[in-house]
Amino acid sequence: MTRHGRRPDATTLTVWQVVELARHANRPYSLDYIRRLAPDFLELHGDRLAADDPALVGGVGTWHGRTTMFLGHQKGRSLKDRVARNWGMMHPEGYRKALRLAHHAAKFGFPIICLIDTPGAYPGAGAEERGIAAAIARAIMEWFRVPVPIVAAVIGEGGSGGALGMGVADRVIMLENSIYSVASPEAAASIVWRDNARKVEAAEQLQLTSRDLLAMGVVEEVITEPEGGAHLDYDATARALDEALYRHLQPLLAQPAEELLQHRYERFRYIDSLVHAEPHFGPKID
Amino acid sequence: MELAKTHTEIRVAGGKLPPIPLPTNCPGCGVALDSDVLRKHGYVCDCGHHFRLGADAWIALVADRGSWKERWGDVRSHDLLNWKVPKPYQATIDQLTEEGLNEAVRTGTCTLGGRTIWLATFDFRFVGGTLSIVAGERLARGMEQAAASGLPYVLIAASGGARMQEGVLALMQLAKVNAAVGRLHAAGVAYFSVLTDPTFGGTAASLALLADINIAEPGAAIGFTGPRVIKQATYADLPPGFQSAEFQLAHGQVDMVVPRTELRRLLAHLLEMYP
Repeated sequence: MTRHGRRPDATTLTVWQVVELARHANRPYSLDYIRRLAPDFLELHGDRLAADDPALVGGVGTWHGRTTMFLGHQKGRSLKDRVARNWGMMHPEGYRKALRLAHHAAKFGFPIICLIDTPGAYPGAGAEERGIAAAIARAIMEWFRVPVPIVAAVIGEGGSGGALGMGVADRVIMLENSIYSVASPEAAASIVWRDNARKVEAAEQLQLTSRDLLAMGVVEEVITEPEGGAHLDYDATARALDEALYRHLQPLLAQPAEELLQHRYERFRYIDSLVHAEPHFGPKID
Repeated sequence: MELAKTHTEIRVAGGKLPPIPLPTNCPGCGVALDSDVLRKHGYVCDCGHHFRLGADAWIALVADRGSWKERWGDVRSHDLLNWKVPKPYQATIDQLTEEGLNEAVRTGTCTLGGRTIWLATFDFRFVGGTLSIVAGERLARGMEQAAASGLPYVLIAASGGARMQEGVLALMQLAKVNAAVGRLHAAGVAYFSVLTDPTFGGTAASLALLADINIAEPGAAIGFTGPRVIKQATYADLPPGFQSAEFQLAHGQVDMVVPRTELRRLLAHLLEMYP
């Protein structure tokens, strides 16, 4: 089990350096992967209620010979694009679009791939007015009823409920230098210290690196990135992601829907079971 | 609305509320407070200000006297991330436990107006009523049992969200609990949620807003992101009443805003209409 302050891997990175890699300006984003995995990707827009949320891309593409639904948080590269994509922070419409596309996939039996890369849901007044809390709540609940295989991968930042709203899946995997946390280090520092400048200390305590999550049993696999980080070789990272996603998806394709949903339920119902198993680690619940 | 039982009958059935620490004057109207009078009125000032209640007070207010049977009260949280600064998490837990609090969620069965229900209540005094592994476990187990037995499920929410000191495993409680809420709904079991001041973050973004009927207390602050963070992130000026219970009613997130003094009567009536 990793402990406070321990480096995330046997190399030379500190926890904060991993956070910076996860947020690197040149890090590949969802569309960089989706277009490599499925060159015929066709984007589908809109929640059919009010709007389209550009912070979440969704659509269908042919992947390993099978039509697949891809969903992913999308950040922008240029300043203009970043604003348009809202830094990958979804509004309520994004979660509603995700559910629409999930049910669309279920109708046709398409498997679903979710790529997670968000600092969190959008913390703005408009999102509150249009019910961001209920939108995330409903999304998390509904994912448990989507009767097709879902594999999620954290490819950059997995921030809080905004990430989990897209992260209920049969398998969840992570790129090596991505993070997944109850809150961003800044938000956690703001909550615990009332000072978001304590972000480095917060990051070190939160145990948010891929190896921490693997040790806790929250993700099934950590995908090794090219030396120096994913931003140095998009193609190689995409190939590694492709291979891991498909390896995790394959056994799910053969499962009857009922069994799939039961296992998905148990995956999250007992997600803290590793914590219980180790006598000196966490609450003992019988 | 013709309610099933008279106010007095149902109030009498409830237990006596425990004393709670009160300010000298009401923050709502400034009047000097008489704690004995307030206690008899469910800690609601004449001006309508609702004081925050802990889990013990909520149990006394909702459950018929002597009917409360607590479940899984012996399950305790531990410091699993070795969280040291600014305060060791284990010390925080130990101190609150010594003060007589038992985690951020307590759950069990009771009767309300004679009907047996599952009741779960948050306690904001325990690390801001934050969702922890133990809180999530108590909630999920109660919901699973309610789904199996068909007993209605009543939630009292008061929470700052997920507990930072339990890291990503606290976040995972949203999924764990929402999966169980889904089972409640699939089983056709009635689920009523009472949102009290404050209900935010991961608790609002999970079970608190997913009930068949969402009931908010007047003036309660309810939302996802807290106003301080919204202002920091967007430099927006937030209008008065932003994220209040009345705001959430106007924006379609809650079914009704109901004073605490009417709550027992309302719940008893609902339990008769949703068998």
